[in-house]
Amino acid sequence: MNSPTPIAVTGMGAVSAIGENVAAHLDSLSRCEHGIRPISNMDTCHRGRLLAGEIRVPDDELYRRLGISPGEAYTRSTLLAGLAAREAIVQAGIDLHDGHRTGFISATTVGGMDATERHYDNYLSSPAYRHFIPTHPGGVAAEQLAGLLGVPGMVTTISTACSSAANAIMLGARMIRAGVLDRAIVGGTDCLSRFTINGFNALMIYADDHCRPFDEHRKGLNLGEAAAYLVLEAAEREVAPMRVPLAYLTGYGNANDAFHQTASSEHGEGAYLAMEQALHVAGVAPAEVGYINAHGTATPNNDLAEGHALLRLFGRKDDLPPFSSTKAFTGHTLAAAGAVEAVFSVLALQHQLAFANLNFSEPIAGLDIVPLTQPENRKIDHVLSNSFGFGGNCTALLFSKAHD
Amino acid sequence: MTKPIYIHGGGCISIQPTFQPDYFFDTFHSYASNPVPALEPDYKSLIPPLQLRRMNKSMRMALFTARQALLQAGRENVDGVIVGSGLGCLRDSERFVEAILAEEGQPLNPTPFIQSTHNMAAATIALSLGCKGYNMTYVNNASSFESALLDTLVYLMEHPDRSVLVGGVDELGDRTTLFWELADYLKKDGSDTGETAAEGASFFVASAERGESALGKVTAVECCVQPHDVEDFIRGFLRRQGLGVDDLDAVLLGVNGDGRYDAVYESVARRCFPRLPQMVFKPILGEYDTVTAAGVFLTLQVLARQSLPPALLYNGIHPARLQRILVYTQRRGRNHGLILLEQ
Repeated sequence: MNSPTPIAVTGMGAVSAIGENVAAHLDSLSRCEHGIRPISNMDTCHRGRLLAGEIRVPDDELYRRLGISPGEAYTRSTLLAGLAAREAIVQAGIDLHDGHRTGFISATTVGGMDATERHYDNYLSSPAYRHFIPTHPGGVAAEQLAGLLGVPGMVTTISTACSSAANAIMLGARMIRAGVLDRAIVGGTDCLSRFTINGFNALMIYADDHCRPFDEHRKGLNLGEAAAYLVLEAAEREVAPMRVPLAYLTGYGNANDAFHQTASSEHGEGAYLAMEQALHVAGVAPAEVGYINAHGTATPNNDLAEGHALLRLFGRKDDLPPFSSTKAFTGHTLAAAGAVEAVFSVLALQHQLAFANLNFSEPIAGLDIVPLTQPENRKIDHVLSNSFGFGGNCTALLFSKAHD
Repeated sequence: MTKPIYIHGGGCISIQPTFQPDYFFDTFHSYASNPVPALEPDYKSLIPPLQLRRMNKSMRMALFTARQALLQAGRENVDGVIVGSGLGCLRDSERFVEAILAEEGQPLNPTPFIQSTHNMAAATIALSLGCKGYNMTYVNNASSFESALLDTLVYLMEHPDRSVLVGGVDELGDRTTLFWELADYLKKDGSDTGETAAEGASFFVASAERGESALGKVTAVECCVQPHDVEDFIRGFLRRQGLGVDDLDAVLLGVNGDGRYDAVYESVARRCFPRLPQMVFKPILGEYDTVTAAGVFLTLQVLARQSLPPALLYNGIHPARLQRILVYTQRRGRNHGLILLEQ
């Protein structure tokens, strides 16, 4: 069997509460500046009370930046995705009409829910917002953006809760390796919505303070909004000539916990299987992993399960590579999280820098694992990035340094 | 390029009694209402009552048809679950929005939030079967099932010794129906435009091996949001399979009675398939994002039984043989999909 096509990351873009482009994210991460504040833009009774990672750019400004006429119906998730995907395409320097087969693979949890919840009653009483009715379905963002950005090929959308973007990234790589695509623009987007804020609040896993991933006294998550996209290309001469990739996507794995609708099994079976597969696909041994960007939502259940899975994969505490959850910077950005953290993973490889896990003070009893609490320059050849979601959906990606 | 996959069993819930094992599109329920809810089986025959009680309609339709597919395939389990759902668990989404609008700030019941998640059908199947393998959900409007099918082709090429449950599911909402009326999507009495909205689920057991009793195979699938030229899209797809139009024995078209968009089929039928038997399925199964999965269920039955239900014949040309059938669908002029099925 031939060795699989190497998958090069040639461009990336991101917008979240800690930056409106990739460079700003690196700056915020390096300086340990988070973006979590009391909700101020969202129209919700939780405004001023719950903390979230809001992007301080209003919708009309996003329309303007993307050159979309105000009369058109684009929901906030789609607008955020437009900024991030455009940054990724520009960095990759690809010509979308050069004859190579380019796909657009996006990810969402609630699609255009922000418009639906805002106009749920207005739609019935007034024609003013009815042009937003067609924006509800999850697939609308990808189809609108493929049109806006001029992506001519395959378009699809994945929704597997909080692992959605990681799955979109994995699918891009698999489609290239299967010979279906030459390159793929992959990632995810989710704006804040009353739907998700109230949902996690109803589940009693929305923290009343800054989230504390992997801490004994963690009380839940803060949500955030974000979009992030990567350009993946078959790393062959004809597709990516004369360019040095930012990094390679070398491994990926998806498994299902098959345990509970929302909770992870205590020992993180699905998480373990996903990470193990990612390393297997890459042909990389656990000891070669230089940094782990953990899922680390700071919910009691996730961090315990993920911690157990990490210990099982790496054998024992002393063999665990430096790890951190960056959710305390951005908030949990749901369907975007896997892509935001893929961008962080590539930055970690490019700058040989592992990022901090903010708000940590005391290890989880019985696990006793300690994340990085300060950014740390170190030799990093491979970064493991985890994303786990409702429905037991567990995905792990492995990114590797460009010289490999 | 991908390789063909074999389908070993299927299950289908729709607005016709497709869940009955001996049903072969010979008698039809006709409906005066729009939208049309699915005809539901006795779920308890395949789903334990305790599990069933906690499931919304998408979850129960998906799990029931997945179990039907497993039964027909004579298998207990699979290695992965791949699902398409244009709108996910719509009714629970509506329920949670309504709870927020009525009483945000009060303690809300989280169950509709949890069960509104688009991947709940795939998760329910995995949980019920104890399937820890690959689990994926596509939500790309009317190409959601086609995306799931393409992933299945790729997955079984990567893992030729494995098997997969692949399917599509969509349910109707309540408030969403009002929105669709306002958006002018729905057919009203006697109108030439609009869709008859429906719901349903269809699942299949697939593997890379023919085995002893495959119903048929899926040779290739492609979709395109808006092809520049539909005829080129179709001929190019066939060419990539080493085929021409004359190599097909019949086509299944997604004509749905919406005069604004059916013209595409008329034109394609005239230009590409003038001599081929043409079948339709949406007039009896209604329209929803993943109804093409039910079209595939129908086509596999036709291939397995070597017989074409006369009521579905669109142009009066009877087939000389039934070995290779092309499914071509689009919805509202978008999400054009091609699925090639063979005996």
